[in-house]
Amino acid sequence: MSAVRYAEPTELAEATALIADPESGAHLVAGGTALVPLLKLGYVQPALLVGMRRLPGLRGIEVRDGVLVIGSLATHAEVSDSALVRAGWPLLASACAAVGTIRIRNQGTLGGNVVHADPNQDPPPALLVLGASARIAGTGGERVVPLRDLFVDIFETVLEPGEILLELRVPPVPVGCRTAYHKFLPRSQDDYATVSVAGLVHMDGDRRVTDARVGVAGAGTRPILAPAVGAALVGEVPTARGIAAAAAAVDDVIDPISDARGSAAYKRAMARVWVERTLGELCDVAIA
Amino acid sequence: MTIGTPARTTGPFAEPEVRVDGRLKVTGEARFLADRVPADTLWMASVRSPYPHARVLHVATDAARVMPGVRAVLTGADLPDVRFGRRLQDWPILAFDRVRFVGDRVAAVAADTPAQAAAAAAAIAIDYEELPPILSIDAATAPGAARIHPDARAYRYLGGDRPPVPHPNVQGHTLTVKGTADIEAVLARADRVFEHRFTTGRQHQGHLEPHGASVWFGPDGVVHVLTTNKAPFSLRAQLATSFGLPPDRIEVDSGYIGGDFGGKGLSLDEGVCLALARATGRPVSSVMTYADELQAANPRHGAVITLRSGVDASGRLVAHAADYRFDGGAYAAGKPMPALTPPGPLTSLSAYEIPDVTIEVTVVYTNTVPAGHMRCPGEVQAAFAGESHIDLMASELGLDPIAFRRLNIAGAGTTDAAGRAIKDPRAAELLDLVARDRAARPPVEAAGAISGTWRRGRGVSLTARHMEGGRMAVRMRAHADGTIEVVTGIPDQGGGAHTMMARVAAAILGLPVERVRVTRRTTATATADLGVGASRVTYIGSQATAAAAAALAERLMELAEGVARTPVASLGAAGFAGPEGTIAAGYDEIVASLGDRSIEVEGTYDSETHRDEPQDFNFAAYDIEVEVDERTGVVRVVDAFLAADVGTIINPVSHRGQVDGGFAFGIGAALLEELGFDEGRVTTVHLGDYKLPTTLDVPVLRTAYLETEGPGAFGAKMAGELSVSGVAPAIANAVADAVGARVTNLPLSPERILDALTAAPRPAAGG
Repeated sequence: MSAVRYAEPTELAEATALIADPESGAHLVAGGTALVPLLKLGYVQPALLVGMRRLPGLRGIEVRDGVLVIGSLATHAEVSDSALVRAGWPLLASACAAVGTIRIRNQGTLGGNVVHADPNQDPPPALLVLGASARIAGTGGERVVPLRDLFVDIFETVLEPGEILLELRVPPVPVGCRTAYHKFLPRSQDDYATVSVAGLVHMDGDRRVTDARVGVAGAGTRPILAPAVGAALVGEVPTARGIAAAAAAVDDVIDPISDARGSAAYKRAMARVWVERTLGELCDVAIA
Repeated sequence: MTIGTPARTTGPFAEPEVRVDGRLKVTGEARFLADRVPADTLWMASVRSPYPHARVLHVATDAARVMPGVRAVLTGADLPDVRFGRRLQDWPILAFDRVRFVGDRVAAVAADTPAQAAAAAAAIAIDYEELPPILSIDAATAPGAARIHPDARAYRYLGGDRPPVPHPNVQGHTLTVKGTADIEAVLARADRVFEHRFTTGRQHQGHLEPHGASVWFGPDGVVHVLTTNKAPFSLRAQLATSFGLPPDRIEVDSGYIGGDFGGKGLSLDEGVCLALARATGRPVSSVMTYADELQAANPRHGAVITLRSGVDASGRLVAHAADYRFDGGAYAAGKPMPALTPPGPLTSLSAYEIPDVTIEVTVVYTNTVPAGHMRCPGEVQAAFAGESHIDLMASELGLDPIAFRRLNIAGAGTTDAAGRAIKDPRAAELLDLVARDRAARPPVEAAGAISGTWRRGRGVSLTARHMEGGRMAVRMRAHADGTIEVVTGIPDQGGGAHTMMARVAAAILGLPVERVRVTRRTTATATADLGVGASRVTYIGSQATAAAAAALAERLMELAEGVARTPVASLGAAGFAGPEGTIAAGYDEIVASLGDRSIEVEGTYDSETHRDEPQDFNFAAYDIEVEVDERTGVVRVVDAFLAADVGTIINPVSHRGQVDGGFAFGIGAALLEELGFDEGRVTTVHLGDYKLPTTLDVPVLRTAYLETEGPGAFGAKMAGELSVSGVAPAIANAVADAVGARVTNLPLSPERILDALTAAPRPAAGG
């Protein structure tokens, strides 16, 4: 690691200005849990690190008009431990609780996690399923981007140079929805997911599915929603066979790579297994 | 964590030890290499080959030489024919004609800061001509295979002549025969012959502290070497040979070592730091990155193992023929054994009585990271194959795995494959302990709370390990202030050797252990020995310490007789006693008479003097219960029981740590750890991808110990390599029991288990 300059702006405009020039080699740093390993491996060689911790107003977790608003500097532990989040968005609480270890969760931020765009991370599939969006500030003003449009590729989002994620907005979960997050860890319990699945299901009084959503991480270059899976269940009374058929549709939207966590074929097979298991759990249908 | 009782709850070692280095390590006072480098050191950085096999055509260093802080740049041209290695010196300090693996070092820089050194190294441009790489064991000896080491005949070999090899791409080869030489004829007469093939991957030692070194020339020309090497005298001999220096002009100082697990026997950076120190006149230091550790150190050998065994009509093993082929990587430098082979295969199936055994071991060169020794070298691979083979045979014969083992168990008069008589083999009793423990637990079938696709199974393994010896000497001093000083040349790499020495000395002298301090000396002043390895330290170190303490007690009693002018017959906690047992003089008052003097003695022990006697082996039997998810291949180890013969336990806490740590190590080998490769390049370059087991991955280990008389002082035996190698086969056997799928590749990844399940689906009735 070579010497880098470090700045700690106290105003947002100052921070966006510092990172506006893509040739400047400036990098934002929030919790640093993603950036520091990349620095040590030499994958990122910034000239300037712009620390975010003195930027005002980015730490809160609150509910505004029913919408959960999480400042981008809130840590994973703050989110997973928040009574507000646990009560209204338990899926997000479980996904944040599944991140790394307690040390990582206390240091790493949810905002940093999202803009890092590591396709194996835990919170993104949950945020996708929950229909979250990101409020982003840049030198030219602010914009709001739905998370389903945010992720582009491995380590790549739609954020432009000079843009900073300010907060994540998560709409209310309709009454009666059930949600679950499954992180598949076939090797060590201290690992990134081989694949992970976030799910949401709502059934009416006749057990007919009115809403079903599935998000998948670890099975491609970015976390994704699998709308065809949910669509196949909506209007149905779920059965094991129906869930298996619906889960098969995940195959069309994933594109896993072979790595230390499994071959592409294994991840493909496991994505289907865990989509099936997640939906089975949410629909009270026994699944092998 | 272990549940179980130590073998002895009385006697001098009943009280749990307080580690002599414990407080120093907890408070950070114990300084490791990276904290000990001289204040004015330069830092080394190197350029490593991106190709598995290539000719080095040109190395352009001009740009690097003029960069800020750069003090020296060296290439292979500066160090022609300078190679290093523990036994065979085949690894160039800097590659001068060709590179042989991704990570081979081609040029090196010394600069004022690590960043300046790295920047300069990055500015060195190298032209290569790629050569076809040899990337597998089979390719190494295939007809027409290119020679990886065309100049092998010129390489230096430490300690006599290098044993002959059957092929230029073979590092080492042994053929060990017990009984009938014509094993094929014996196999042909057997009622049934079973053949099974196994493969194992490459595994890194996973020590927390990476390799490091700091080297400088003193004003008198003596080379000073701070190192993480666990065998300082061996390193001194290797450096002396590499650089043509007299050994007494090199001082090697191995300080506290942050984990070893076999990996710290080979030094990687000392040679290049020495060359740069000579070029600059300054200290030059290096601490390897973990990426370099995983790509360019000396991980465990991969193996392809074919085992054949003949069985008679009664189920008795009559013959065993084993073919072990190991991937030795680009260099044999990491191997200390004379034949340049890992020793494990020779003790495979030593827990059984087999009259005719032939074991062939071949280690080949490939264009991959060089292989070295790792805790239970060759034994993890051999035990996985051997104990899976035993279960497979039992299954094909329709016998219970424990019953088949009992039928063939080693007993009085059994010799191992190398023909060594086994002293007091109590393997049968270990199987009894396993069977008794099993009987007391609910049957696996009754554990039916497992829902859906999860299945349970149990598997056993039985392993034997020969305890290696050697020669060791320690010096011991009685000082006037009442303290005893033990002076040793061996570093304590975390195993607790220094604490063991303090406790043995105190026990022999009858003094409180608080009076004993252990001083580690460098090669300049300590007595030469082999260093740490092969689980020999507790055995020969306790004996050498006991010999020194006994000699010191004699000298102290002579002193007491002189000072107190009365006959003295014994020394104990209360002081010196006369023939009737009454205290004649207090300890402190007698030694106070020494004033500025001290009494010094030396104690030595050499296992060679016992070579012709029956040899000491450790036996260990595992019974492991797993749950396997048939849809994902995931294995959960839910229960593990170890029955082992242990000697007198000197350090109860460290002993438990070694047994528990060995079990965790075995879990890593069994289920998780494997270096990934792509065209010879290691793809798992950090510990986020190369996973070691965590506490959540390792269940509680239950133990039952048999007390046996070991070869060490007070009957001690080794512990460090007792509980490692039996884990993988017990888990493989348990997985086969659970789901009917046999995995013959290590590690047993979920994917491999799923593949095996697909190939051999469990019969429907078994569900």
